[in-house]
Amino acid sequence: MILLISLTIAIIFGAGAFLILQRNLIRIVIGVILISNAANLYIIAAGLSRGEPPIYPLPEGAQVSDPLVQAMVLTAIVISSSIAAILLALVYRLYVSHDTLDLEEISRAERRAAERLDSGESLDDRESSEGRPEREERP
Amino acid sequence: MLAVVAAPVAALSGSLRPGLAAPVGAGIAGLAAVATLVGWLSGGGAVDVAWAPSLDLRFAIELDGLAALYSLLATGIGFAVLVYSSRYLPLHLEHEREATGTSDPGVRFYFFILLFMGSMVGLAMAQDLILVFVFWDLTAIASYYLIGFDRHKEESRASALMALLVTGITAVLLLIGALVFYAAYGTFSIPELVELTEPGALVTLAGGLIAVAGLAKSAQVPFQFWLPRAMAAPTPVSAYLHSAAMVAAGVLLIGRVYPLLQKSEVLLNALLVIGLLSIAVGGIIALTRNVMKQLLAYSTISQYGYVVFMFGLGGEYGAMAASFYVIAHALSKSALFLTAGAVTEATHETEISRIGGLARRMPLLAAASGAAAAGLAALPLTIGFFKDELLFDAALERGAPFAGLALLAAVLTLAYTWRFWSGVFLGEARGHAERVPWALVAPVAVLGSLVLVGGILVEPFAALARDAGAASFDAPVEVEPAYHLEASPENLLALATYAIGALVILSRPIWIGAARAFARAGELAGPERAYNAALRGLNRFSDFIHTIEVRDLRGRVATILVPSGILVGLGILATPSGDVYRVGEVTGDDVPLVLALAAAAIATVAIIFTKKHVTLVLVLSSAGFATAVAFAFFGAPDVALVAILIETLITLLVLGTLKLIPRKVLESGARIPVRQVWRKGSVAAVAGATAFVVAWGTLSQPSAVEGGAAARLTELAPEAHANDVVTVILADFRALDTIGEVTVVALVLLGVATLLFRGRLP
Repeated sequence: MILLISLTIAIIFGAGAFLILQRNLIRIVIGVILISNAANLYIIAAGLSRGEPPIYPLPEGAQVSDPLVQAMVLTAIVISSSIAAILLALVYRLYVSHDTLDLEEISRAERRAAERLDSGESLDDRESSEGRPEREERP
Repeated sequence: MLAVVAAPVAALSGSLRPGLAAPVGAGIAGLAAVATLVGWLSGGGAVDVAWAPSLDLRFAIELDGLAALYSLLATGIGFAVLVYSSRYLPLHLEHEREATGTSDPGVRFYFFILLFMGSMVGLAMAQDLILVFVFWDLTAIASYYLIGFDRHKEESRASALMALLVTGITAVLLLIGALVFYAAYGTFSIPELVELTEPGALVTLAGGLIAVAGLAKSAQVPFQFWLPRAMAAPTPVSAYLHSAAMVAAGVLLIGRVYPLLQKSEVLLNALLVIGLLSIAVGGIIALTRNVMKQLLAYSTISQYGYVVFMFGLGGEYGAMAASFYVIAHALSKSALFLTAGAVTEATHETEISRIGGLARRMPLLAAASGAAAAGLAALPLTIGFFKDELLFDAALERGAPFAGLALLAAVLTLAYTWRFWSGVFLGEARGHAERVPWALVAPVAVLGSLVLVGGILVEPFAALARDAGAASFDAPVEVEPAYHLEASPENLLALATYAIGALVILSRPIWIGAARAFARAGELAGPERAYNAALRGLNRFSDFIHTIEVRDLRGRVATILVPSGILVGLGILATPSGDVYRVGEVTGDDVPLVLALAAAAIATVAIIFTKKHVTLVLVLSSAGFATAVAFAFFGAPDVALVAILIETLITLLVLGTLKLIPRKVLESGARIPVRQVWRKGSVAAVAGATAFVVAWGTLSQPSAVEGGAAARLTELAPEAHANDVVTVILADFRALDTIGEVTVVALVLLGVATLLFRGRLP
């Protein structure tokens, strides 16, 4: 059982790592979500005992699951969902400002902007010169 | 003790009123010098407090002879230098202000010089190798700021960095040496180590490491190159650091651990060779230098070469002579440095060839520095005579060839000292000379007259040196320097020194070419080149790593995953692994859990191969729900419920995001070349393997501890009037954490709203 759980954690973590290394931002976010999944699974599997739910009345004689790791994982799940929400909102913002979700294109654009800043132009020039002002927000 | 608190006090008074820092600092230095003198005369004292008992560290300081000598030097010459700089520094800052247009009250100068003085005193008294290391690094830090005082000059900054690197990197060797001693004998205390150690390879190794640190600080070959560079500092700094403090700290360390070094013949011989090399290199280059402070800097290298040489000679003469030499040299050399500063202030020139004949215009300065120069050149009636007498004594004790080498060394000293003094004060009057304030001359006069006093009343100085020598030699020392008007070997050697020295001075045109060629060769192939090459190489290497690491997000992720995977792998390989990994049994009850886990794994792998975004979301949520089910079979219904809620939320969020973004954009960059797939795949495989090994290793550790936290929490739940233990933990035992978590969620909501509405909340 220990081996199987470890294997599952490893697969989920490896898949998450693979997705984080992608160029597409949506996939990167999904990679982050998967890695949190792996972490949560790992924490709950690290519980000292596994058995019946730790809810009174406790069953006579049967083993009760470790409640401590469950409380930890509950917190972790909520926080990781918050992270996912923030990341998705950031992705949307990047799409609005750069019109792409390709990490390479975004960093190229950033580099161009930095060079322009170095050569003394203001950011407003950049937007008008590219002929692509930020689009209007959607309702 | 007093000196240790001096730096903050001076900085404080300086920050209140810039004019106050100098007098307060000088006053404290003077007081500290008097306190040290009184302490030494009343027989010294010791403080020994447990500092970090769990690490066997003790704050052990003792005012023995060696400590008294170097503390007196640090505080006494510190006092002279501070008086001098109270006038010099405003002038210096005035020049810099004209050059750069920035204003700077210079209070930090007093802070750092007093910090230096305090740590120097601490270093002198420390009896514990770790304490020595701490003070040692403090002096390095203070010297960095002092040498780089003119921080707008690139040369200053580079010199300061060089001094810091050379002395700081070798300081690590000191630490390693201390740890080697500790590993073998279980103590850092030097007196205890002296009793415990037996001659052998271990003492040679650890003692050698410590000696290298000392030699680097004393600017001995091959570390000599930082000292001339450090002359970029304002003159008082040069005078202080390079006569009484920084370079003296090196020989102080050697003197402190000398009882250990003595046990190894190899180390003594190495000291002998390094000392001789430094005498030769420093002396010959000093003869060719034209800039006053450069000449003095190379002379310092050569002079400390003497001290190292004498330590290498060994015996009671060696130990005592080395200590006496440090006193005589510090007095003379600081006076000469201060002279150079005063002359530069008067004439605005730094090169010997452009000044001359100043004796008539600055008679007091000329006389005072003449006395100091005579002391350095070991003329009779100065303290310097005895330093050479002792040098010859120590060398004769070892054998005639060493006496010959000592003679040559003394000749070199005489020649370059004459060159300095005669070049500045004799000859044709050149250039103009302004009046200099008395505070620039008085310290030189005081130091010069001390040199003369030492030539007549040598006993107090000799007593101090005997005490210090006894601490180094670890046995009482009976050496009495005095004038003997007879044809003793020492006197004959001294006479020979004067004769050959005069010859060398007169024959300057003959050998100057060869000496210059030697200096040039040193610049071309010396250790400074190696230092620069190493520095550039390291810089390039760091840039290379930097570009790899921060080129983009993926690079950064990979640079975390791969090395941590490799490190974890190495750690696993290095740990004995018998019985660590348990496969664990699978019973019939576990079947649902296995199925849930399998579903989660399969769905996750499916995500990688999914191309369409809607499918992607569906597969992601099925992976999430499978994990939630797995939670349920772990006996964690609360977690499973929350996970299902959260997975639903995430699914909706991703779907919503996908709806907002057109399909073409969504797929930008989604396809990557096959080569990249392989590369990313292998990084991910390393990451997965690491996760597997770590998870398996930790989960295999024993479960179910009787009476552990889990059991206690379960027992306590009814008292909190709840049936669900997890709920109790979250809402009661860890309620503050939960409040923090709720705050996080609220902030995230705000953040998301701000991002979506472009910073304008509706």
